[in-house]
Amino acid sequence: MFFQRVQNILANYGMTLLRGAGVTLLIATLSTFFGCIIGYIVGIIQTIPVGRRDHPAKKAVLGVVRAILRAYVEVFRGTPMMVQAGFIYYGFLYAGVSLPWLAAALLIVSINTGAYMAETVRGGILSIDEGQTEGAKAIGMTHFQTMLYVILPQATRNILPQIGNNLIINIKDTCVLSVISIVELFFAAKTAAGATYTYFEPYTISMVMYLIMTLFFSRLLRWMEKKMDGPQVYDLATTDTLAHTSGMISYPGKGRKEEE
Amino acid sequence: MSEHILEIRHLSKSFGANTVLRDISFTVDRGDVICIIGASGSGKSTLLRCINLLETPSGGEILFHGTDITKERVNIPAYRAKVGMVFQNFNLFTNMTALKNCMIGMTKVQKKDKMTAEKTARYYLDKVGMSPYIHAKPRQLSGGQKQRVAIARALAMEPEVLLFDEPTSALDPQMVGEVLTVMRNLAKEGMTMIVVTHEMAFARDVSSRVVFMHNGVICEQGTPQDIFINPQKQETKDFLARFLNG
Repeated sequence: MFFQRVQNILANYGMTLLRGAGVTLLIATLSTFFGCIIGYIVGIIQTIPVGRRDHPAKKAVLGVVRAILRAYVEVFRGTPMMVQAGFIYYGFLYAGVSLPWLAAALLIVSINTGAYMAETVRGGILSIDEGQTEGAKAIGMTHFQTMLYVILPQATRNILPQIGNNLIINIKDTCVLSVISIVELFFAAKTAAGATYTYFEPYTISMVMYLIMTLFFSRLLRWMEKKMDGPQVYDLATTDTLAHTSGMISYPGKGRKEEE
Repeated sequence: MSEHILEIRHLSKSFGANTVLRDISFTVDRGDVICIIGASGSGKSTLLRCINLLETPSGGEILFHGTDITKERVNIPAYRAKVGMVFQNFNLFTNMTALKNCMIGMTKVQKKDKMTAEKTARYYLDKVGMSPYIHAKPRQLSGGQKQRVAIARALAMEPEVLLFDEPTSALDPQMVGEVLTVMRNLAKEGMTMIVVTHEMAFARDVSSRVVFMHNGVICEQGTPQDIFINPQKQETKDFLARFLNG
């Protein structure tokens, strides 16, 4: 009964559903990526320190840019993405521009993700101990170098779980794009349901498909976190004779014996 | 041009209404080892941080080879690259190995090539006895080891002056020794150092000059003999009595 109907739907709408899942994945991954870029840019600008010695013009420009970015974050964090989708898509239509469906989808989800990521990146940067910045300054690094080599690598590690959260939220929330008729997984399931007058089965199938996608990415992100942490043990360099007993000798010997 | 590496003139620092440093003046010459002692809250660390411009002085001048570095238009990162600093809490970059910690300043700030930087980093890590641990991340090292790597990182920049901000205060007693030994050796080799410390034995044996600070002013300064054997001011006597008998 149930399984028969499931089989039926898979036979007739399997490809539609798969294509829908593909669209969901495409939009979710690309938008998370672009959203991260937006988030990093906004987060970095928000945390540029302004000192007494800085030029007044620099302070003024930074002040204006920050106000705009602040407004961007508040507007897109503070409204539902479903409404944003309609607002942006029909807004463009109103202005005489018909956005291609993929461009519209990427634009909407990226901007939305960017608003969340901006705060995440800002939080990540603020979470790094002040001592790291001072250590970098003390060896003569500029603010830009400190960010690039010291703060952001550490902040990125700390916010990686949050980036994963965003990716998983995006996989699920792309379904709101059905309001502008983008054929992602939810839209495909709805289509199948409407055409066959069966409802429970297509939604069950899409439920499982969503879960498979999100489980895959949560595993992938865990693996990336581990990768970023590096090995738990380190190799002892063996120029020191006292260290020979350690038994952890694997050392890329690039001209070490001769340097005296 | 003056002969001094550093000359501090009438330096003052206040945080809002709270004046932390008043009218601080002293000079640093090549090979000097200056220990700054005094009670907690006397302004020692703030003074050191002002010298490296981690705090912006409120008044006075800091002359580095005759140039006032508190003036606008001074390239602060370039100045800091010539004045090393070792912190109480090490401040090693936690995302890098010991070797990378020592190389990053040379490759990115001094724009040296990787090979030269690595060779120099290895040389200084060896000097502080850390060459077996060059591939370890800071979280895998003990406090004393971290501080030795931090000293190597500062040395690798080949600074003209090295500032130490209570380098042993965050360490377990048995690790204090290994760091002080490294510092003694540096002093012996003629490194110019300014050391904020509570290690009175180190100050007495190693420094060429001792500065005693009290309530944000230099209360007394002189040779270790002057300060430890014949202190003139009552505050100095009280401070030392508390330390030596305490």
